[in-house]
Amino acid sequence: MVIKRSVSLADEVARAVEAAAREDGVSFSAWLSGAAERQLRVRQGLRGVAAWESEAGALTAEEIAAGEALLARLLSGVSGMASRVRRR
Amino acid sequence: MAVREGLVYGVGALRAAARGDRMVWAVHRAALANGIVPVVPAAAVAEAFRTEGRGDRLEDLLDGAVIEPLGDEGARRAGELAARADTADLVAVATAEAAARGNCAVVASRQNALRAAADLLGHELILYAV
Repeated sequence: MVIKRSVSLADEVARAVEAAAREDGVSFSAWLSGAAERQLRVRQGLRGVAAWESEAGALTAEEIAAGEALLARLLSGVSGMASRVRRR
Repeated sequence: MAVREGLVYGVGALRAAARGDRMVWAVHRAALANGIVPVVPAAAVAEAFRTEGRGDRLEDLLDGAVIEPLGDEGARRAGELAARADTADLVAVATAEAAARGNCAVVASRQNALRAAADLLGHELILYAV
């Protein structure tokens, strides 16, 4: 089921969404819906991380930095192994 | 160097998360904080729930992931690819296929089947081996 909602967007945001939707071959509504869905999933996911941390202990600043660094390496095309990363 | 746009979790990543591997949780948190929602093939979810007792931890991880169903076409593709890779490991094949299709890096255990499937797809496997 689809629900119609009237939303207001800043002019530049609306233009950027139009361009992105055109590029992705989907409608303006479908693009916005996808973006909202992704954002909701991120929000839910961070709650999942917090739930795990409440049991296992919060990730330390060092662990968070290590996770960020590992993600950056993977996205830039560098493979890694658990043991090597843990030693850093 | 092959730039990647997202992450795919294989069953090894799910097992590691269920067992409390803090680096897996840290990279998962980093992905979400950067607006990246990792993808998990449904076959990997099934295998993880088969083998891991900590379903609650798996649920926490999967709250921040997209579970990709196999579907008709995907099932055919996975089966054919598994045959070409000479493996019965459909989870690894589905993981490699999802990574190639989405131009994603992979978090999984190191497996020959994963690498063989990626090679057959012409996809350079970028792997964090847990």
